[in-house]
Amino acid sequence: MWVMLQTLNDEVPKYRDQIPSPGLTVFPKPVTALEYSFSMSNPKSYEGYIKDLKKFLEPYMAQEQKNVTGCRDGVLFEQKGPVYVACPFPLTLLQPCSGTDDPNFGYPQGKPCVLVKMNRGGYLQPLVAVQLPFDHSGYGKEVTVECKVDGSSNLKNQDDRDKFLGRVTFKVTVHA
Amino acid sequence: MGFGRKRGSVSPHEPKPSPKSRRGTKTSNKKKTKQKKKKDMEELKKEVVMDDHKLTLEELSAKYSVDLTMGHSPEKAKEILLRDGPNTLTPPPTTPEWVKFCKQLFGGFSLLLWTGAILCFLAYGIQVHFGQKPAKDNMYLGLVLAFVVIITGCFSYSQEAKSSRIMESFKNMVPQQALVIRGGEKIQINAHEVVVGDLVDVKGGDRIPADLRIISSRGCKVDNSSLTGESEPQSRSPEFTHENPLETKNICFFSTNCVEGTARGVVIATGDLTVMGRIASLTSGLAVGQTPIAAEIEHFIHLITMVAVFLGVSFFLLAILLGYTWLEAIIFLIGIIVANVPEGLLATVTVCLTLTAKRMARKNCLVKNLEAVETLGSTSTICSDKTGTLTQNRMTVSHLWFDKTVYQADTTEEHSGKLFGKGSDTWFVLARIAALCNQADFKAHQETVPIAKRVTTGDASESALLKFIEQFHSSVKEMREKNPKVAEIPFNSTNKYQLSIHLQEDSSQTHVLMMKGAPERILDFCSSFLLDGQEYPMDDEMRKDFQNAYLELGGLGERVLGFCFLNLPSHFSKGFPFNTDEINFPVDNLCFVGLISMIDPPRAAVPDAVSKCRDAGIKVIMVTGDHPITAKAIARGVGIISEGSETVEDIATRLNISVSQVSARSAKAIVVHGSQLKEMSSKQLDKILQNHKEIVFARTSPQQKLLIVEGCQRLGAIVAVTGDGVNDSPALKKADIGIAMGISGSDVSKQAADMILLDDNFASIVTGVEEGRLIFDNLKKSIAYTLTSNIPEITPFLLFIILGIPLPLGTITILCIDLGTDMVPAISLAYEPAESDIMKRQPRNAKIDNLVNHRLISMAYGQIGMIQAVAGFFTYFVILAENGFRPSELLGIRLRWDDLFLNDLEDNYGQQWTFEQRKVVEFTCHTAFFVTIVVVQWSDLIICKTRRNSIFQQGLFRNKILLFGILEETLLAAFLSYCPGMDVALRMYPLKLNWWLCSIPYSIFIFTYDETRRFFIRHYPGGWVERETYY
Repeated sequence: MWVMLQTLNDEVPKYRDQIPSPGLTVFPKPVTALEYSFSMSNPKSYEGYIKDLKKFLEPYMAQEQKNVTGCRDGVLFEQKGPVYVACPFPLTLLQPCSGTDDPNFGYPQGKPCVLVKMNRGGYLQPLVAVQLPFDHSGYGKEVTVECKVDGSSNLKNQDDRDKFLGRVTFKVTVHA
Repeated sequence: MGFGRKRGSVSPHEPKPSPKSRRGTKTSNKKKTKQKKKKDMEELKKEVVMDDHKLTLEELSAKYSVDLTMGHSPEKAKEILLRDGPNTLTPPPTTPEWVKFCKQLFGGFSLLLWTGAILCFLAYGIQVHFGQKPAKDNMYLGLVLAFVVIITGCFSYSQEAKSSRIMESFKNMVPQQALVIRGGEKIQINAHEVVVGDLVDVKGGDRIPADLRIISSRGCKVDNSSLTGESEPQSRSPEFTHENPLETKNICFFSTNCVEGTARGVVIATGDLTVMGRIASLTSGLAVGQTPIAAEIEHFIHLITMVAVFLGVSFFLLAILLGYTWLEAIIFLIGIIVANVPEGLLATVTVCLTLTAKRMARKNCLVKNLEAVETLGSTSTICSDKTGTLTQNRMTVSHLWFDKTVYQADTTEEHSGKLFGKGSDTWFVLARIAALCNQADFKAHQETVPIAKRVTTGDASESALLKFIEQFHSSVKEMREKNPKVAEIPFNSTNKYQLSIHLQEDSSQTHVLMMKGAPERILDFCSSFLLDGQEYPMDDEMRKDFQNAYLELGGLGERVLGFCFLNLPSHFSKGFPFNTDEINFPVDNLCFVGLISMIDPPRAAVPDAVSKCRDAGIKVIMVTGDHPITAKAIARGVGIISEGSETVEDIATRLNISVSQVSARSAKAIVVHGSQLKEMSSKQLDKILQNHKEIVFARTSPQQKLLIVEGCQRLGAIVAVTGDGVNDSPALKKADIGIAMGISGSDVSKQAADMILLDDNFASIVTGVEEGRLIFDNLKKSIAYTLTSNIPEITPFLLFIILGIPLPLGTITILCIDLGTDMVPAISLAYEPAESDIMKRQPRNAKIDNLVNHRLISMAYGQIGMIQAVAGFFTYFVILAENGFRPSELLGIRLRWDDLFLNDLEDNYGQQWTFEQRKVVEFTCHTAFFVTIVVVQWSDLIICKTRRNSIFQQGLFRNKILLFGILEETLLAAFLSYCPGMDVALRMYPLKLNWWLCSIPYSIFIFTYDETRRFFIRHYPGGWVERETYY
């Protein structure tokens, strides 16, 4: 067993063919499965979501990323190794859902933010924010949202069994 | 009713207890019937008590209030019929087919699987009830278990479908019609209307309609062989000749055959009360014990259940301690117990037994009851019937005495065609008498059949003479044509001789009178004797020689006949009206020629078979209805009484002291007469069975045969009984294994038996013993092999619970092993040749030598199984580590790992896994664990080939089926892993080649480990290793 462990590379797993394509996950973590449900008038009902989002975004705060070397926009930052560095991810990219302008991520306004994260398979962990602007006509109704990684031939999003492979589906219900 | 009253009087609510108190009677009736049944059985086991044969005709007439010439009036007969019921045998309560089927479904091993299945459904039910996301595994497992039991049940049911229909064949023996005299008229009635006291006429060819006391007869002979085992027809006459009703001449028995002559008798018993009816009721009423293999399987189930419950409960407690909820802990408990059930073993055992049964059938042992396959191997005592089993059931001339010399004849089954090489003229005369003064004849169209095998008419002795002369002298037909018979007095029990007069062969137109019969009677007729063809006057010396020869031949248990002749004077020339009723010719001063003795000789293969049984530690007891002298002679002939051993009587004769002076213990052999046995208590019988190695029971009744079997069983022996007659059937049924004769056996005996020797050859039993012992050994191996993989199947679940790691092996993969890859290899062990000469060792002691003992369990579970489990976990950890999850990371990961909505579980490299991706890796691990078990089972299979020998002694390639088994399981494993679509169907995934290789070192280790263990067993007999690990 010990010998076996010694044969392993500390940096790269021997086989990576089990996760050729990343899965998508959403934040905040819904309480029940993948259904968000809260009431604008009741802060307690979304308190948890906000907390969760804040906690998730903590590592992305500017002071946490100050050691990360910059990358230029629009250009592929190719690295040769053996030491790899990550690019900074300014929270501002998330715009209204960054939490910087709106610490409540739009929940009290009925415009909840949901972050969709692509699983890290190696070093990438792209993040996309979804804000769902509900108006009074939508209150109390369940809205199903499906996010897919599209347009990339090597990223699967149609697996029969894995509902999170390159896609994620969640439901949101906002009560007044 | 007594119970009812008693119960009633106790109850305060019933002030005046009615004897018909319903509750009371019901229970008491139940008790009573049970008691009554038991009592009846005891009653049936007793000897037939009857005094009708001792009564005079007047007493008889009074007893049955019937006129011995007119018979019953039709009205009275009707009355009695109403009172006694019809003259038929009560059929036994038949077991409906579905009950038999259910017995197959719910017996022994199946019960274990059913329990497993029910537990599975229970666990599933609990999960559903408490709203957990039910893992369907439990339900599937339950279904599969149920399926396996049902399939195996159907299989064994169809194998045993030809099960016993004892009473039916008894029914077939009931005669259809009977000729009775009622109101002075002879009328033909249905046999079941015959009543006690009826006057019945029987003639040659009839079946006796009821037990009859003969009141008049004419040359009547009956064939009692189906009842007493006596192979020759017995003459019947009104005289009371013996105390024993079975031996006296004036009783005829229900469903025996009248061979010749006529007789009239009074019915003394009908239906179930007849002697035959009693045997039938006895046979069908006997409780049949468990077969040894069934007992072994029960023992095995106990062991397995103990292990399962122990593991289950300990891990239940552990789970509670580890903070699992009660519900989870109970699910774990059930899971662990079920995981211990060897799903495939039932099928494996059944198939192994079937294979052996098939193999035995090829060797002429037809097994009716699958479990009986092994019983013969455990047998420690064989009670063998003599006639037809040990002997050829064919009277054969064995010795001749003429010219004052004893000549021996060839009695083997294949007579060598040599002429009886005697140039003596006396032989010529003797042969002529034997051929001419003989009523037997060959049936037509048998020219191509060997003489010994030809069918004849006439009684056994005459046929024996006929065949002997035909074989060793010349054509009897020609002799009879040349010497036509002109007069004849057939043999009868008063005369004890047979006489015939023939025209001389030469043209002298004179006659010769020939006579044969009981030697002492014949000698009385003679005044001269023939020596080397010359006639000498009878003298004392000749009389003495005759006596010696008669005693000598008689002492060999042979039937001796004397022969003499007289050339009639010339005035009895051709055309003389010989009158045999009022004899008008001389029948004295005959010339004595010689003696011929006959015996039903032992079968050629029997002595060898008996000695093989001896070597195998099996005691062979002869139990026969025949006379002690004959029985003893045959026993000596076949080695049941071995050469050097003596009976008490032998010792007494040798030392010239009285029998009472000889200590019974000093004699190795003993011949017990049925009448002695009758007087014995069961303790005395036990003593005989214990103290004497070589036992012959002679003149035994069917009931006594049964008592002997029970006596042996009481002493702990596993008893095999061989027999062919109806009289043997109670013993056959009671025996641990009843063996009937296929050719000569009566239908009843075949029905009562568990096994049928198709060639009637006792030697086939030896084959049966060998096969039985082999399958017992091989079943051990098979079970050891199958149980081993239980450990690598259970431990994943245990560690899943304790360490909280992702489940290393799932239910589906476990089933793939138990019902897939393990099956053929386990069955292939049934083809394994014996490790040593299994016919040289003692029969196993049913109390100590179990099929599955704790050593087998500890070897399979504790040692080999553990190594296999380690191999499996190694592969499992390798796969997970190589995919990013190091062992340390896995500990306690269970809840997060199995969380359906946690789709970004991080591994040691920071890779994030969706639930489904994790599951694919997990199922890949299952597949790899499965493949690992297959690989380590290769070496397990090879080490299970032997229990003591090295593989290199046993030969790795001798068992081709086993090699096929290895190939098959490997291909199956590869198929399951690589076949496209398996990921969807069974959730099994393709493996990388090096994951196959992970387990190879462990496989080699298992092989070396066990080779070493067996090395110690061989080289240090009785040492620690043998004591602790030899299973």
